[in-house]
Parts: sequence; structure tokens; C-alpha cells
Amino acid sequence: MRLRITPFMSLFFCGMAFGQMKDSIAVDEKLAEVVVTGTRTQRKLSTLPLPMTVITSEAILKTGVTRLNEILNEQTGVILIPDESGFEGIQMQGLDAAYTMILIDGVPLVGRTSGVLDLSRVSVGNIDRIEIVKGASSALYGSEAMGGVINVITKRPKNDGVDGSLSYRYGTFNTNDINGNVLWKKKKLAANLFANFYSTDGFDLDKSTWVQNIEKFHNTTIQPKIYYDFSENLKLTVSNRFFYQMIDNKAVIDSERHTGDATENEWNSQAKLDHKWNSKIYSEYELYATNYRNDSFLKNENNVLFEKAFYNQWLLRPEIRTTFSINKDKLTAGLGINHETLDRTYFSENVTFNSQYVFVQYDYNPSEKLNILAGFRYDNHSAYASQLSPKLAANYKITDDFSLKASVGYGYKAPDFRQLYFDFMNPQVGYTVLGYNIAEDRLNELEAQGQIALRTSGVNFSVPLKAESAINFNFGTFYKKNKFKLDINAFYNSISNLIDTRVVALKSNGQNVFSYTNISEIFTYGLEYNSTYTFNKKIAVSLGYQYLIAKDKSVVDDFDNHKFVRPPGSGTIEISKSDYFGLFNRSKHTVNIKLAYSFPEIKTDINLRVFYRSKYGIFDSNGNSVLDKYDRFVDGYAQANLSISKYITDKLMLQGGANNLLDYTNPGQINNLAGRQFFARIQYNF
Amino acid sequence: MNTKFLKLTLLALVLFTASCSNDDNETVVAETETVSNLEAPSTASGYTKFSFSKNAVVTTDDWDIAFRGTTILVNGGVKGSDATEPARTGQGAVSIVSDIFANVTTVPANETFKQDTATLYAIPTGGGNGWYTYNVVGLHIIAPIAGKVFVVKTHDGKYAKFEVLSYYKDAPAEPNYMTSVAGYYKFNFAYQANSNTTF
Repeated sequence: MRLRITPFMSLFFCGMAFGQMKDSIAVDEKLAEVVVTGTRTQRKLSTLPLPMTVITSEAILKTGVTRLNEILNEQTGVILIPDESGFEGIQMQGLDAAYTMILIDGVPLVGRTSGVLDLSRVSVGNIDRIEIVKGASSALYGSEAMGGVINVITKRPKNDGVDGSLSYRYGTFNTNDINGNVLWKKKKLAANLFANFYSTDGFDLDKSTWVQNIEKFHNTTIQPKIYYDFSENLKLTVSNRFFYQMIDNKAVIDSERHTGDATENEWNSQAKLDHKWNSKIYSEYELYATNYRNDSFLKNENNVLFEKAFYNQWLLRPEIRTTFSINKDKLTAGLGINHETLDRTYFSENVTFNSQYVFVQYDYNPSEKLNILAGFRYDNHSAYASQLSPKLAANYKITDDFSLKASVGYGYKAPDFRQLYFDFMNPQVGYTVLGYNIAEDRLNELEAQGQIALRTSGVNFSVPLKAESAINFNFGTFYKKNKFKLDINAFYNSISNLIDTRVVALKSNGQNVFSYTNISEIFTYGLEYNSTYTFNKKIAVSLGYQYLIAKDKSVVDDFDNHKFVRPPGSGTIEISKSDYFGLFNRSKHTVNIKLAYSFPEIKTDINLRVFYRSKYGIFDSNGNSVLDKYDRFVDGYAQANLSISKYITDKLMLQGGANNLLDYTNPGQINNLAGRQFFARIQYNF
Repeated sequence: MNTKFLKLTLLALVLFTASCSNDDNETVVAETETVSNLEAPSTASGYTKFSFSKNAVVTTDDWDIAFRGTTILVNGGVKGSDATEPARTGQGAVSIVSDIFANVTTVPANETFKQDTATLYAIPTGGGNGWYTYNVVGLHIIAPIAGKVFVVKTHDGKYAKFEVLSYYKDAPAEPNYMTSVAGYYKFNFAYQANSNTTF
């Protein structure tokens, strides 16, 4: 693999040596960074009373990464880790991936087959910036935004004429990434076409097995957009996104090899009209439709079909928002409808959700120094109880450089389709999982068929399954002076009615029937720290750190149920409450150090990022069903990513580097961490 | 020379102490035995019956506990609706104690003992209710709960205690639901052959 990369590296260094020596591009101080995700209005980042991170397109370009999960993984407080379902997703403030909403240009991605969205399906090639809001954001976004919102904002044509970029990147594991983005504008009409093709052979940490950690796959993304300005006050945007992916499907079942395909098809379409009534009133009319579908099959060695599965989800969402400017203040109100359907294997029927919602937000500036953001959202839903999600936040500017911010908010996550309608029997083990809403009927059916030996006493399904809900507090500071920028945020989340599985009956085959229930309460708290120091035009160093504690309240309140442990190979011992470590998959400490070094005279940037994650547990290994200090942990580890970018001319850039430079892997415990991956890229901007 | 003498003295001392303790106390401390790979049928083909006094699988009516899948029966009470269950011919019962196995030295109060009924077993079934936990997302592993000790009144009114150590063949330290073979019990037990209520 190293030999294969050598020609690229030498090409790169030649480029470096013969590059023209032009004046350095001045590092622009961004005077007033404007964001939209925290308030759904154009808003200055520095006075926003919410914890927020912005990743710019320049920052993304310099890292040399190509997929959304990779760039998010480099941010403080955003941790990519498989959750208990085994799928990789984002953990923010200690909350699992199911609780973070992912938006592209303000509208949500769907397709959470197992509760987690696969973020590698989003290419970063046309991203203008990524906005990350941490903490409960249901007051604006409703369900799923209980832990936060990540909004991917794509580039749009700004100036008349044609511009854009073409790039090709090759990396270890025969990974190819081809990008083309063309932006065109002529007075009132503008258009943008983005296309990306990505393919890889995948990777394999354990060569002794036939299956790989990630099998070979390829995907294609096409995003055409049209913009038309009817007038200064009425502007139309129509954007579309098509995504297709095919991955080799392989499995060993009863020591027999099975092969097949797994495909994903996604389609998003958004039409939006921006309407400025006058200088005081501004409206946005938005219609969004999306479909996510996956299909997979497996055949055995004799070409006999073993399994066929599909998942087909639709979302249709019209929404209207209006903002009234009243003196220095802004009142925003919105209303919308969600119409959602899902048809999938293991569902006895095609299910539909309907909901209607309104939200109101008041952005109030009583003085030069104080900003208050207050709002709520009300969701009325066809399948679960209505939700009222309030939020209150304040920013106090102590000096021009230093401000304090605090927020409190309510967040919720509705029970998902699976938790309500799943109807699944595991063919290998023989257990059954039933969604809450169909469990009673299906249990009666199974009982009539003689398949049930015993119903668990005290279980009934008469009260609807409740939404999971959270109260979130943030308290932070924002400091920016000359070369130094500092952000500190302390957070606390208390989550109740967490949905978990429980046994509802014993089958006559000795296995269990599971269903879902509101069972536990968890809490998470911690501190996030971000600082950047720009020494001069050449060197900038940033440090990010998160301290996190995440625990189950019932374990803390009643530790007696968990006080005995039997470490493998030894007898039972008694432990104390202080030995309780907390929830699975949570590291107490995560650190990142980023070093950017520029050689303006040769137009070269070096970007080194080092990441550390302290130990975490993935399962209970000693029989008390919680994680304690006697359990086996995944060791803490460090990882480094390096990229070197070099402009040959103003328009032509060469880039090379390595992800996971130190080649750290842990095949037995971390199956999503590939070894060192070299890459080389050529990009032409026009 | 010196070391030899020392060794002999120590040996004599040990022997003396050992014989002393036997003479002092009439209670026989029940030995802890370990049973490995006791195969429990997984389907409706019946139960594997076990006798503590014989430390063996039996097919007769003098069994104390019986296994099928994750279900454990006791030889006392009423037979349930399942036709393959053995009839309860003994006076068995179970009391569930949360403690370290070795620390359970006395038999709990009479009223804590339960027998199987037609609808509820003395050792409740289901993850988190009886002797094991099971999570449907994640590992799919039947994991014995540490510190669950079952004090059993045997079919003939003696006492034994047992704790389950593993549900998988050869008791792997970290069972895997794809590769480990389920339905093979490993457990510790101590049987008090006298009619004593201590172990």
C-alpha cells in the first residue's frame, strides 16, 4: 500500500518545490460570523446564547477528509462511536446518536434503520459550513433534537458567472473520491450542480475471517439546485439530492458463507420561497419531501435465497415561518405538518405518522448588553401524546470581548416506528421482539397458537408509550480578544422515560418475547472547553477538551441491585457505589489538539490534529449488568490525522496526508477504526 | 538440617490443627462442587434433572432441580401447563438470596422459600427476574447475575445452595452469541447431607 502511494507523494513534493511564490492570502478576521441553526434567523454567532460550533468549508478543505462523519469526529464534544445497537453514530453531551437531528440546508435526513443515521452517506464536497448546536433544541425542531442539531449548509452561487471546483482523491484501501461542483449565476437566475462518486474496497482488521469490517462499496451523490429571484423581495430555491449506494453484503450463518447486495437509495427535494413583505416582515415558505429506501438480500453457496430485507421511509413536510422585526427585537413564528410513512421488513403493516406543529420564538434585546431568547414549540401527534417544548436562553455581554451565556430547554424524542410497530422473530435464536402498539394483539395471537408458555405478570399495554424527554442546562462563556479565543460550556441533561426493552412473555420454545417500555432515567453532565491561539500569520494552535459523566439514575439510587460482581475467572465480590463507572460507550475525557502551520511564501499549509479518548466500556463483563471499575474496558487511545495542502497556482491545489497516522487499531474491541490511510488529492478551482 | 526440621514441624502443626477443627465442630461444612457443561434441552423435548446428593443428572423422581433452556424448576409444588415438565414428587422449594456464595452460611427463614406453581416458577423466568439478564439490543448474551444464590430445599427436605456461573459450553470468559453454544450450565453448589441448616 505504501509503495502504491509513493508516486502521489513524489508528485506532491515536486509540486511543493516548483510552486510559484506568490503573496500570501491574508487571513481574514471574520468580523461577524452569521449562523442560522440556533434561531432559524440570520444571527451573529458571538451573541448567540446557545453552545454552538461552526465548521467552515476552508477548515474542511484543509483536513482533506471527504465524508461528514470524518469531519464531525474531529470536533470537540462530537464523538463518533457505535451505540448499543452496534451502529456508529454521533454522541453529543453524552447522548446517543438517536437524539441528534441531522439537517441538510435546514431540512432533516431520514432513514434511521436501527435508530442511527449513517453519516458517511453525506459528502463534504459542496459544504459551505456545518453548524452544530448542542443541547435540547426541540423548541425549534421538535422530536429527535433532544440532544442537539447538526445543520449542513451547502454552497450557493454568489457572484455572476461560473465558478466551482473539480477534485480527485485517492487513498489507502483503493479509496476513490471524485468531486465536481459547478455554480452559475446570471442576474436573477442561478444554478448549482454537485456530483460526487466515492468507492472503496473497505477494510479488514481480522484477516482470519472471511467477512471484512467494512465490505467493498461505492456511492454516488448528485445535487442539482436552481435559484430564481422574482424580485429583491421574492426569491425561490429548488434543491434536490439523489444518493445511491451499493455495498457487498456478506455473512457467515451456521458456518456457511452467504453473499448478496445491500443498496441504499435516497432522494430529497426542497422548494423554498423567501418573501420579504417589507423591512419589518419576512416569510419563508418551505416544502420538503424525502424518501430513503434500502434493500438487501443474502444467498447461500447454492444460490438459494436466505434473507431479503427492505426499509422504505417517506417524509413530507410543508412549513411556513415568519419573522417580525420589532425595533431591535425579532419575533419568529412557524407552523408545519409532518406526514411520515414507513414500510419495512418485520412490520406487519405500512405505518403512517401525522403531526402538526407550531413554534414561536422571541429574540429580545432589552439593553445593549443583554439578549434573551425565549420560545416554545407544540407538537400534536397521531401516535403519541402531544408535546410542549419550551426554551429560555440569555447572553450577557460583560465587555465587547467577553460574554456569559445560559440556557435551559426541554427536549423530547418520540417513540420511533420500530419501538411501536416492530414484529420480528430471530430465526437463529428464536426470540421475538414486538413493537409496543402491536404487542397486545400479537401476544394474544401467539397465545392462541400455543406459542406462549407464560405472560410476564403485571405487563399491559393500555397506557401509550411515552416520548423520551430531557431537561437540558448550559452555562458558558465566550471570550475573544486579539489572538485568543476561548469558549467554555458546562452542561447538564436529565433524561426521563428512556425507552428500553423488557421481557413480556416466555415462549414455549424457552425464548423470550420482548417489547419496549419507558424504563429508566439517565443524567449526563460535563464541561466542554475550546480555545484557539493564533501566534502569527503562520501558526495557530487550538485545544479542545470534554469532561463527561453519564449515569443511570436507578443504578445510582439503588446500587444494591448491582453491588455483586463476578469478574471472569474469579469468585463473586461486593463493590461499592463509587465503583460504578456510568453508561456504556462514554469516555470521561476526550481531547483534541490542532496545529495549523502556514508557509505563505510557498503557499503551503500543514494541518496536524491529534485526538485522545480515555477508556470506555462496551458491555458488562462481570454479571451486575452495569459498567463498574472491575469490568473490562476499551483502553484509552490517541490518534493523529495529518494533511499538507499546497497551491501550485491560485486555482490548483495539491494535497497529501494520512488519517490515523500512528496506525492505532484495536481489532478485538473497536471495529470501526481502520488503520493508517494515506491519501493524495488534486483540486482545481475555477 | 534446619530447614528439614522446620518443614516437619510445620507439617505436624498443620495435621494437628486440621484434626483439631474436625473434632471441635460437629457440623460438616458442605463442600463446594462445580458442575460444568450440564446440557439443558432448548426445545420441548423435556428437562435435564439434577440431584445434589448424587452430584449427577438423574432420570428418576429423586431430582432436586431441572433445566430446560433458561428455565430452572424445583422438585416441589405444582406442575405447570407445559406437558413436558416433570411432575413435582418431592418437597422442594427455593429461597433467593443476594450475597456472595461463600457468605451464605445459614438457610434463610422458612417463609422466604417458594415452590413452583402452575403459573409461576420459584425461580422466575425472564431476563433480570431470576438468575440471568439478557439484552435484546447489543450482545444477545444470557449473563448470570453475580451474587444470586439459590438456597434449595431438596426433594427429601435437605438443603443445598447453588449459583449459576455460565450458560455457554465450556464457560467462555466473554461469550459471543454467534459462536458460543448456549444451553450448557456451569454452576457451583454446596449440599448439606445432614439435616443441618448451615453450610
